[in-house]
Amino acid sequence: MNTILGIGFILIVGLFSAKAAEKIKTPAITAYLVIGIVIGPCVLNFMPDNIINISGIISNVALSLIAFSIGQNFSKRTFQQVGKQVLWISILEALGAWFVTVTALLCFNVPGYMALVFGAIAAASAPAAIIMVVRQYKARGKFVDTLMGVVALDDAWGLIIFSISLAVSKAMYLHLSTSMVSVVLKALLEICGSFLLGGIAGILLSYIGRLIKNKTELLIYTLGIIFITTGLALHFHVSVLLSCMFLAAVVVNLNNESFKYFDVLGDVDWPIYLIFFVLAGASLEIALLAKIGFIGIVYLVFRVIGKFAGTYFGAKISNADSDVSKYLSLGLMPQAGVALGMALIAKDQFPEVGGLIFTTVAATTVVYEIIGPFFVKVALQKTNQIHA
Amino acid sequence: MQVKDIMQTKVISVTRGTNLAQLLGLFKDFHSFPVVPVVDENQVLIGIVRMRNLFDVFKPHHQEILMRNPLSMLSHEPTDIFDIDIEEGMGFLVIVADIMDQKIVKVKESQSLKDAYDLMQLHSRDAIPVVNAEKQLVGIISIFDILMQIFREKGVA
Amino acid sequence: MQIKEVMQTKVISVTKGTNLAQLLGLFKDFHSFPVVPVVDENQVLIGIVRMRNLFDVFKPHHQEILMRNPLSMLSHEPTDIFDRDIEEGMGFLVIAADIMDQKIVKVKESYSLKDAYDLMQLHSRDAIPVVNAEKQLVGIISVFDILMQIFSEKGVS
Repeated sequence: MNTILGIGFILIVGLFSAKAAEKIKTPAITAYLVIGIVIGPCVLNFMPDNIINISGIISNVALSLIAFSIGQNFSKRTFQQVGKQVLWISILEALGAWFVTVTALLCFNVPGYMALVFGAIAAASAPAAIIMVVRQYKARGKFVDTLMGVVALDDAWGLIIFSISLAVSKAMYLHLSTSMVSVVLKALLEICGSFLLGGIAGILLSYIGRLIKNKTELLIYTLGIIFITTGLALHFHVSVLLSCMFLAAVVVNLNNESFKYFDVLGDVDWPIYLIFFVLAGASLEIALLAKIGFIGIVYLVFRVIGKFAGTYFGAKISNADSDVSKYLSLGLMPQAGVALGMALIAKDQFPEVGGLIFTTVAATTVVYEIIGPFFVKVALQKTNQIHA
Repeated sequence: MQVKDIMQTKVISVTRGTNLAQLLGLFKDFHSFPVVPVVDENQVLIGIVRMRNLFDVFKPHHQEILMRNPLSMLSHEPTDIFDIDIEEGMGFLVIVADIMDQKIVKVKESQSLKDAYDLMQLHSRDAIPVVNAEKQLVGIISIFDILMQIFREKGVA
Repeated sequence: MQIKEVMQTKVISVTKGTNLAQLLGLFKDFHSFPVVPVVDENQVLIGIVRMRNLFDVFKPHHQEILMRNPLSMLSHEPTDIFDRDIEEGMGFLVIAADIMDQKIVKVKESYSLKDAYDLMQLHSRDAIPVVNAEKQLVGIISVFDILMQIFSEKGVS
């Protein structure tokens, strides 16, 4: 099978699997992943090699678009809109999951660089799965409002935590023998480089973009700037995610009409995400499943504890209701798309342990996607948000 | 020729506190929902309500922010407006401030027709509000207004 | 609920021979150009004129067929309506048959509101013509009509 035939096939199968998933109240992304696993090497082995070969390009493009979209949240207006409570809780629950998971893994003698990566991935949650449950039970109320605000923002914090952790983790991995100072310097260099790159690209996008008067050109121009940013980030070994997020953040804050850059991408991005998630599913290595047992369980359990602790402190600091401090973290359990995207990046960066990281996250994702919605429902019931 | 020479000056505008029932009442005899400017007490334009914003009544929670995360999309479907329960009270509970779009595409009254036309093409709008130098709402201009003006100039209409 | 219970039945329609000046005259006091159905002598729907078809007056030569070849595009620009020559006589020379769209998105009056809504979403239309079993024009239905119907069923408006 040649590459184009394969992509066409993936698009069509992905489309109909998402349609079927809708019937059983499952988000489209979950359907893409399942299809990926099924046609991947582990089950049907239907995926031609040449498609696996281009998956690097697809995932960089998809992740840069996702980071760009999520980056537009970093504006003063968004922060005012969601309010203090949501801000505190979302930052602290993401950091909490990171901190507790990293600490736990370190205690169990997992190498530092791996612990950091797992911790960062723990910060992410799955907005679609959570919204699905809220929709399904037609839940309404103050608790739901807070939950949705936190869900909307926590991927943004998650991506930042992940990018920074990955920079540190890479420095540790490559310079195992050298000092702490050089690790910190190396990581700082990568982070500052990303900000510089994203910042310059953002200024360009914003100022030259004002000269563009029609939609077709705007789409071409926006994609051009995003790809150049992503390409330069890869070339200079700085973070693609951070660069693209910062690019978006700069544009949003510089330009009143910046929404045009994001709206124009809305028509083209879904086919790319579809291919990306199917390929992500296909990267799962079932043979590694046997090896993940211990780390997987530690990750599963301590991510939840971290989310709970972070939410609790966030709620206390911002004087939220006791319902929020007690039950909101239950609503944050599902994990899917972003986590797998992060795991794929890690897989690329750490050739020796990457497969293990990815397979662990993929397996725990399956667990979270199965039990997560149940806990969301419990949280909604406990806080009386379901008016049957 | 400037925007102010051909814009519509009779415009139905609302305030932040206008509730959904009042808003819909204004247009109940219409068959299309126009661009409705939202103004503050000094007539300064602070938002717009378009038909798409009415759909947010069906999916209320932080919709705008969630939409920015591509991964929060549930399916390829547009909003299913037929399978959602809305309470009767919502006509009074939901106010314009909840659903208005703060991402406003607007034009100054002194700008040229070409500026207005380009802006509407770029953002795929059929009509946009017009403001003066003090950011106050002074009118609305539509693509059809511009087209009719050109046809008139050329003696076609 | 069927479309015929909600649709607008007072519809301005034209025939193939209606000229541009007449067509524009019908809507000169409007600020937006609606969907205008074109019917034959038996009221059978044979085309529609939308605002985008009016732009074809500025680019006359076999526009529809040329548009199907992406390589015939001159630039990324939309139609430049400001810098084109239009002769005065065009108001009488151009008729509805020249500019009407034969790619018609329409619904049957017996279809459900959901069918109509899905169709309009798919084709990005705000309003589409409604026909009976004999393909005759019987009305127009808009997204806003459907939305208002749902709102009033739920007691919101």
